Amino acid sequence: MIPRPVTDRGERIISTRDIKFTYENGPEALRGINLDIRSGEYVALVGGNGSGKTTLAKHMNGLLRPSSGSVEVMGKPTHDRTVAELSKVVGYAFQNPDHQLFCSTVDDELAFGPRNLGSSPEDVARRVEYAIDTMDLRSIRGEPPLSLSLGDRRKVSIASVIAMDPKVLILDEPTMGLDAAQSRDLMGTVRKLNDDGHTIILITHEMKLVAEHVDRVIVMANGRTMLDADAKGAFTDLTILGLSKLVPPPVSKLAHRLAERGVSKDILSPEELVFELMRLRGGP
Amino acid sequence: MAGFIDLYTEGDTFLHRMDPRVKIASVLLLSALGLMLSNLYSLLILMGFIFLLLFLTRASLGKTSLALKALLRVMMLIVALWPIFDPSGTPVIASLGPVTITEPAIWRGVTSAVRVGCLATVWYILMLTTSQRDMVRALVKLGLRFDFGLALSISLRFLPTFVLTIESIKDAQRARGLELDRGGILKRARNYVAVLVPTIVSALRTAETLSLALQSRAYGARADRTYLRDLSMRRSDAVAIAAVVTILVVPAVMKYMLGYEL
Repeated sequence: MIPRPVTDRGERIISTRDIKFTYENGPEALRGINLDIRSGEYVALVGGNGSGKTTLAKHMNGLLRPSSGSVEVMGKPTHDRTVAELSKVVGYAFQNPDHQLFCSTVDDELAFGPRNLGSSPEDVARRVEYAIDTMDLRSIRGEPPLSLSLGDRRKVSIASVIAMDPKVLILDEPTMGLDAAQSRDLMGTVRKLNDDGHTIILITHEMKLVAEHVDRVIVMANGRTMLDADAKGAFTDLTILGLSKLVPPPVSKLAHRLAERGVSKDILSPEELVFELMRLRGGP
Repeated sequence: MAGFIDLYTEGDTFLHRMDPRVKIASVLLLSALGLMLSNLYSLLILMGFIFLLLFLTRASLGKTSLALKALLRVMMLIVALWPIFDPSGTPVIASLGPVTITEPAIWRGVTSAVRVGCLATVWYILMLTTSQRDMVRALVKLGLRFDFGLALSISLRFLPTFVLTIESIKDAQRARGLELDRGGILKRARNYVAVLVPTIVSALRTAETLSLALQSRAYGARADRTYLRDLSMRRSDAVAIAAVVTILVVPAVMKYMLGYEL
């Protein structure tokens, strides 16, 4: 494991070809999705509730199978591969950590995934250590995961997926219910994972996270991708964000209001805005 | 998924409007009638009456066909199996080793199948026309403690939610490489621990949150609580219960006092 060479960045790791999906007795949740996720990318899947983000993500590790169209993982179609096989490549941390945790210690919890994949005991131990280090769980590794705080439960559930050494990590609303400090902490860790070469797919509707962390934004609404752009591009198009029931981060809205005074529309963080204002005033 | 647990279908027929207490009483009385009658022809008349009621619920065939098909299968099974286990009577139609098939046994099988059909359909009509909320309200009105009634309606309400939670937990564990249907019985049982523990924990957490939510809305503050919609018997309900009692009493008198073979 462990840090991946930056040289393999850019190879196609997940591709969807015109996938459509309809839930039993439900509406059409995906109406033709074409995407390429490339190795090393940090992607956000954003959209309002019911826009199809989670449905799409569940196609990436085979939990859902498309009604039509195809999904390829590492260049090979997924229709004849089991979720267990795909989980070696695509890790998925669920929204609710309580749906994943069941062991009596954090260590056992982290070992569960690698054991399922049939890793040797030494390999399991090595992966558990890596996950413990990455998510900073050393002080609580002997605790029962279910009695930890929500912030720690979420960290353990993400660590339990990291321990499986997937190339791609799907995080479904990882900061929900966390306070600002916990959230910043967690996003810092995810940043590090991405720097180490992991491909990250972040499902969220917190635009602040997206603006501050993500390289590429895929905006979804009504089972379609409305926009697929880098983070700067995404927030300059307020109409599409509005259509997708998304609110851009406050700093981005402020930049739009100040646009007539010459402020650039693609500001993503308070720091950038400060520099921009200083530039307009002609130096500090 | 929810339809599997809750058979109730919205509607505005007299059966939907009927006081649920009257409906429960009627269903019990009609069930008693079904158990009392032992003559095939009288049972067929009862069945005709019950199917007329089913027709009057205006439930679409698409909705009821699944239940009726299942019922038909059970009835056919009874007709087929009864003569094999009941060798009494003459004339004997066929004999194969230890199995003797007699003509009266075949008729007894048909009679039992029709009786089962009557009972199942009449209860099905109750489920079809009474919402779970009304059902619980009727039970409380009939003397069930309100706490138990509330517990019952909450459990019914949360069943579909619970099914979704279990599906999500299964998905979460499959995403960690768990293969639920792999291996021998012992291995599979162990696999299910990974689903069972989060399921129980989720249920407990839900229950805890729910009890706090109930308390914060003054649940249990007064013993004599009031109801937004109280049940009240109307004239049509009285007519209905009188009719059902008559339908039970007349054949009972004919059978047990006048000696008719019904």
